[in-house]
Amino acid sequence: MGRMLENHTKTLLYENGLAVPQFKVAASVDEVRQAADELGGKVVLKALVPVGKKGKAGAVKFADGAEEAGEAAAGLLGTTVRFFPVEKILVEQKLEIEQELFVSITLDKMRRCPVVLASTAGGMDVEEIAAQYPEKMRVIPLDPFEGLPEYKCREIWTELGLSGGLLREAASYLYRLYQVFARYEATVLEINPLAVTPEGKVVAAGALMAVDDAAVFRHPELKDYVQLGSERAWRPLTELEKEVVAVNEADPYRGTARYTEMEDGDIGFMCGGGGGSLMVFDTLLSYGGRPANYTEFGGNPPERKVFGLVKTILSKPGVKGLLVDANITNNTQVDLVAQGIVRALKEKGIDPRKFPVVVRLAGVNDAEGRRILAEAGVEYYGEEMSMSQAARRMVEKMREAYGG
Amino acid sequence: MGILIDAGTRILIQGITGREASMVTRHMLDYGTPVAAGVTPGKGGTEVHGVPVYDTVRQACREHEINAALIYVPPAFVYDAVLEAVANGINLIVIITENIPQHDVMKLLAATKKAGARVIGPNTTGIINPRARMKMGAIGGDNVERCFVPGCVGVISRSGGMTAETAHMVKRAGLGVSTAIAIGGDPMIGSPPRELLELFEQDPETQAVVMFGEPGTTFEEDVAELLAAKGFTKPLIAYIAGRFTEDMPEGTVFGHAGAIIEGGKGKPSTKMRLLREAGAYVAERYDDIVDYLKQLDLPQN
Repeated sequence: MGRMLENHTKTLLYENGLAVPQFKVAASVDEVRQAADELGGKVVLKALVPVGKKGKAGAVKFADGAEEAGEAAAGLLGTTVRFFPVEKILVEQKLEIEQELFVSITLDKMRRCPVVLASTAGGMDVEEIAAQYPEKMRVIPLDPFEGLPEYKCREIWTELGLSGGLLREAASYLYRLYQVFARYEATVLEINPLAVTPEGKVVAAGALMAVDDAAVFRHPELKDYVQLGSERAWRPLTELEKEVVAVNEADPYRGTARYTEMEDGDIGFMCGGGGGSLMVFDTLLSYGGRPANYTEFGGNPPERKVFGLVKTILSKPGVKGLLVDANITNNTQVDLVAQGIVRALKEKGIDPRKFPVVVRLAGVNDAEGRRILAEAGVEYYGEEMSMSQAARRMVEKMREAYGG
Repeated sequence: MGILIDAGTRILIQGITGREASMVTRHMLDYGTPVAAGVTPGKGGTEVHGVPVYDTVRQACREHEINAALIYVPPAFVYDAVLEAVANGINLIVIITENIPQHDVMKLLAATKKAGARVIGPNTTGIINPRARMKMGAIGGDNVERCFVPGCVGVISRSGGMTAETAHMVKRAGLGVSTAIAIGGDPMIGSPPRELLELFEQDPETQAVVMFGEPGTTFEEDVAELLAAKGFTKPLIAYIAGRFTEDMPEGTVFGHAGAIIEGGKGKPSTKMRLLREAGAYVAERYDDIVDYLKQLDLPQN
């Protein structure tokens, strides 16, 4: 899921004929002041970070005039909103708002269809609307092929009490919003509030959008809006994480390599399989081990992908050991994994006879893998040891080497 | 017996000429699983390890009796490949491909549901019935008996790799597998565990099931509901991986795309509690699966 920044979302909406407030992006107090001037004085400032519920996080400020805007900006720039540093600010023209609506379209993965949420209690979180004003909210699952026909939009708003010109405006907006959702293969497209102006126009005051990473290849216009791999971190990607994304993308159809840095820890963690890695991480923690990262690999990666991954894992400061622990492979060639590990250890100048390394690998071509690792002096186990036992052995080995 | 595949399954591989698919074809044939035909547009008339290749599914179905499709085509072409299989009356479709655009998956699942075809995956290593020596997909690799020996235990796993590892645990307990299914690591899949347990309930060969679960989705919660409603009455041993993700910031994916806790939902600890309350044996440690299996006193191989 590629979360987009609000300025990018609003640009897309605008390009597709949906009304948004005038806005500018500013990176300094001076730029914010200038933007406020150009936008006519009354502005809204939002920290430009890829997270929702910005108001609750204190990342939205209102200002009247350039001076106030500058002061507000000084209070936002350089802060952190849910782990994201605020480097830029979205400066928007403040709308005159008569009424606040809410609309959200999501790809509901459990229902396997798009779901529309609409409400006349905009401006608050959807959870709050659902809890406090359930009568003011509609939840409509859609047929994946039919999508959202315009008559359904009119039905939704009529049931929620809209009528006259506003009904037509809101229905048309929702209809076109669904077109954007479908066209860009979004997973979420939420407008909150969908502001109703005194002239009876509807405008997207707040917008949140995420698109499907796996579909970006057929929407080249989104390429600069979405950072690949961002769903695998709760903060901006670190340099090492970006390195692994690059290693992975170099061979996009051959195996996977994923890497998420933990705050501390001393065990380089490289586990095979999405499920196996979760299990081993839990197990390692339960024995008192401290993984420095979370990594999974699999799907029969080429040697160079394994090499790049292990090298990155070993590059994190504070890593004092390496655990490679994979499920018995179905297609991953163990000999290639072994070659990648040995080459990375060599490149980092690490002697596995002194630096704790435990490898548990079994499966396709494992006899050759065993030979390669044994020759390099790596402590190796095959299927005779369970994955959990290997995790336990790693913790033991760290204690033997460093005490504690 | 077993579920989904048996000696009567007639397999077609779509995308058979690809590097991975061709290797898997050889492993399937070596194991004794017949592969009737393959399809790769533009490669009609060639062969892969002796399996005839056609340009279209229609041509393959004209020459061979086919009732199952194994899909190995790249992500952008899966939707079309599934429609092609469905249009030719194939009612079991195993989708190996990972990273398929989610809007395509949503549509192909709607189309197959309408046609009454069962989908396993996407993003799976496949399914296997060891007694019939039938497997679809990489599951078991080139040395199938290492993990999969025939027996009375069903295996359901959200992780392809852990399907093999879990079958190995079954073997360690002195038992074997009736059918093992890697359901796929994505949140949107054709056959969630609940539906498969309903099939296992009807299968006389299966006497117990081991399930490997993960964070995210409501798959395990739905299983607990099924158990509570007596929809599955055989012993179920469950292990849920990824408890550590509960201590990480929400909304982050760990491992499979489906493994994500959002809005407080999909926590392993909740899944474990609900399953335990519904009567499942919930393993605290993965290796405990072996002990639980031994305690069940099931017929040894």
